[in-house]
Amino acid sequence: MKRMKKGDPLAEAGIRYVDYKDEKMLQRFLTERGKILPARLSGITARHQRQLKVAIKRARFLALLPYVKRGVS
Amino acid sequence: MPRQYEAVYIFDSALEEPAITEKLSRFHTLIQQPSGDAPKLNHWGKRTLAYPIKKRDTGYYVVANFEATPGQLPEFERAIKLDDGVLRFLVVVNEHDYTPSRDLTDRKLEEDDE
Repeated sequence: MKRMKKGDPLAEAGIRYVDYKDEKMLQRFLTERGKILPARLSGITARHQRQLKVAIKRARFLALLPYVKRGVS
Repeated sequence: MPRQYEAVYIFDSALEEPAITEKLSRFHTLIQQPSGDAPKLNHWGKRTLAYPIKKRDTGYYVVANFEATPGQLPEFERAIKLDDGVLRFLVVVNEHDYTPSRDLTDRKLEEDDE
């Protein structure tokens, strides 16, 4: 698998707190199946990954993001 | 001590806008503060749901920011839960600043929280 570049993409965007309502931004941290991307692949800091986890789960509950994306493969 | 909350409601998209406004004001009377600040509402409008909820494919989203005392919440949430026009809702404490540019003093405070 191709390694992404180092450096926290969220910190670079100047984000201090991950917003669960911004599903376009959260989308970048999901696989094409809709799973949460490991921090090791996204290059995000541990602190941001923890916030991201909660944000993605909230967004899924609100049907902003799917729990599973089917039929893409 | 009142706290800052954020609520997201997903209404049945078959409802008309006046009906939604009426429901919102009914819910928000339950968390009315003596200081009298009305909740800040943000109507996102009709959106496609990522997956069906109660056999509906679209929902009408409203985000509300308000201040409430924690004791008021159970009654508030119960009223929403009993309303069939609400497909789903989420109430969260919103005491973080989502805007990227801000004061260093409160940034320090947030780091002490962890």
